[in-house]
Amino acid sequence: MRYVKLPQENFEEFFNSLKKWGKVYAPVKKGNIYSFQHVEKPSEIAFDYTRTMLPPKKFFVRPKDEMLRLKGGKWEESDGVEPIVLFGVHSCDIHGLEILDKVYLDEPVDPYYKKRRENSIIIGMSCMPDEYCFCKSLGTDFAMHGFDLFLHELPDGWLVRVGSVKGHEIAWENEELFEELTEEDMRNFREFEEKRANSFKKHLNKEGLEDMLDLAFNSPVWKKYEKICLGCGNCNMVCPTCRCYEVCDLWMNAYEAVRVRRYDSCFMESHGLVAGGHNFRPTRLDRFRHRYYCKSYFDPSAGFNCVGCGRCDEFCPAKIEHVKVLDEVREGLQ
Amino acid sequence: MTFQTHDARILEVKELTSREKLFTLRFVDPEVNRSFKYKPGQFVIVDIRGFGEFPISLCSTPTREGYFQLCVRRVGRMTKYMHTLKEGDIVGIRGPYGNGFPMEKMEGSTLVLVAGGLGMAPLRSVLWYALDTGKYEKIYLFYGTKAYEDILFRDEVIHLLKHGEDMNCHVKLAYEVETPSCIYLEKGYSPRVCKGVVTDLFRGETFDVENTYALICGPPVMYKYVIKELLDRKLSPGRIYMTLERRMRCGVGKCGHCIVGTSTSIKYVCKDGPVFTYWDALSTRGLI
Ligand SMILES: Cc1cc2nc3c(=O)[nH]c(=O)nc-3n(C[C@H](O)[C@H](O)[C@H](O)COP(=O)(O)OP(=O)(O)OC[C@H]3O[C@@H](n4cnc5c(N)ncnc54)[C@H](O)[C@@H]3O)c2cc1C
Ligand code: SF4
Ligand code: SF4
Ligand code: FES
Repeated sequence: MRYVKLPQENFEEFFNSLKKWGKVYAPVKKGNIYSFQHVEKPSEIAFDYTRTMLPPKKFFVRPKDEMLRLKGGKWEESDGVEPIVLFGVHSCDIHGLEILDKVYLDEPVDPYYKKRRENSIIIGMSCMPDEYCFCKSLGTDFAMHGFDLFLHELPDGWLVRVGSVKGHEIAWENEELFEELTEEDMRNFREFEEKRANSFKKHLNKEGLEDMLDLAFNSPVWKKYEKICLGCGNCNMVCPTCRCYEVCDLWMNAYEAVRVRRYDSCFMESHGLVAGGHNFRPTRLDRFRHRYYCKSYFDPSAGFNCVGCGRCDEFCPAKIEHVKVLDEVREGLQ
Repeated sequence: MTFQTHDARILEVKELTSREKLFTLRFVDPEVNRSFKYKPGQFVIVDIRGFGEFPISLCSTPTREGYFQLCVRRVGRMTKYMHTLKEGDIVGIRGPYGNGFPMEKMEGSTLVLVAGGLGMAPLRSVLWYALDTGKYEKIYLFYGTKAYEDILFRDEVIHLLKHGEDMNCHVKLAYEVETPSCIYLEKGYSPRVCKGVVTDLFRGETFDVENTYALICGPPVMYKYVIKELLDRKLSPGRIYMTLERRMRCGVGKCGHCIVGTSTSIKYVCKDGPVFTYWDALSTRGLI
């Protein structure tokens, strides 16, 4: 990895140089909610944001996405992609994208996702955890890959990690904006990371988590939460690793139809419904439990399907807490 | 492209029952036609442009080239539309998808096919494949159907009831609703045709467990009972194959609908299946 320093006084110029790589999206505050929005200048960016409501997946797996367009009885691929720069992506969300990559870039490759991924630049940014974060427990609090540049906050600028060839190119073209790191920068970086590591309030006990959950299939805890959960599916929408989608064809006019996919949620009754009305997950209990199984599934090559971003807690209208549910299930077993 | 379908022309539409039609299709592009290879137990996604897509098992056998067949039950919006299509009409097809049955591994063994209702469709592919290649010791077909009128591929089934023994193919049929036609069949072929459910057909049957594979397809409730019969006869779980259904959108492991299992074992029915062994069912909760 290459490490350089971006002094604060050079930040604006660096930011402006990003525009040539694509439309720049960064976290912006609107009311109490942060979201990735198109930004023109650094003053629009919420540098101290905690988490956006929708994770960066919205750029690659869009909430509603046109795949094909029917013209003269033939499907045509929908329009091309625009290059984008995602600025300020936190480490957990970078891990989230890598989990999505596993699914969508695995054979057969999802062409829409791939094109968008190839046309995007990911610029990471360091953060401080709030009461919802538990990425440290899952080892997703630091990203070693999956970004082009990663900016770590220093008192007088940024320590920049260069993580890809594209990242090198950006750094190369802006060579005059960067400086070599000093001993002091390194010390500040370490201090920041230490302070950050000590600021986590939430911890997930992931020891034997998959087995523990599997054994707890009939735990009364699921039944307790079945009654509290509203079945709204918010937790799915905001999760950086949830990516179920539904497909349908829509007619635009008498001659043109489009095939669109949109986010689906395993909390919806229709998720497991097949012809003839048979439902493979008929009750809220089945669906609630399924989500925890899916999120806590451990893939040897990609880790858990949860990166500890805390979105599902923050945006759950029933105030259900992911870690608390898992802890209760574990306690119930002992 | 992954989600683009290829034009296929309907060569023939045959009414099998009042609810099921058999579509014989061929790809319009000869090159696509030539490269379309599949295994019994695999499925395709049918694309009715402007209506949507749905998964359907291939019910023909790869041993007969140049065309493929789909048996479609009319149950809802898209299958209803499919039923209005005629000879010469075009639909989109992508696939084949899924793992299919391990036909080569089972060569030289006895196959016990257990079909319930529409489950006959994918198993017909196995049946024909086995008959065409002649590489299997013996073939049993246990077929449970509601009524005489619901027997899928009735001509073929009755033909095999009559002449199957000459081909080492033993057909047994269970029906639930008594009608004159069934009673007539039962008269001719008792005890191979009887009133009851598919598990009743196991009565009195034993298998050489070292050399037998069972292949099951039917409605969700059927699996448990059929598997019990097979286990009672000491067939190893690894020799019990079943093909399963789930809601499917993409067919290739992206849309998430067909995910089953728990934290220790998540499976996609579309790409890890739809054919699974009973070992898989034991280690993957919710599979059956
Ligand atoms: C691997 C596999 C093989 C199949 N093989 C056959 C076959 O050989 N013959 C046959 O007749 N049927 C088969 N089916 C079932 C067939 O896919 C459904 O009957 C069909 O999708 C119903 O669509 P519909 O719009 O007519 O029904 P509706 O009842 O109107 O469906 C309502 C909605 O649910 C969706 N839906 C319902 N069932 C399914 C399903 N199983 N998968 C995906 N979406 C579903 C429909 O697309 C629709 O949007 C198979 C299903 C699977 C998964
Ligand atoms: S399950 Fe919750 S905490 Fe985990 S990645 Fe999804 S939204 Fe974030
Ligand atoms: S957000 Fe909360 S209430 Fe809504 S489905 Fe998820 S757990 Fe249930
Ligand atoms: S059908 Fe989409 S993941 Fe299996």
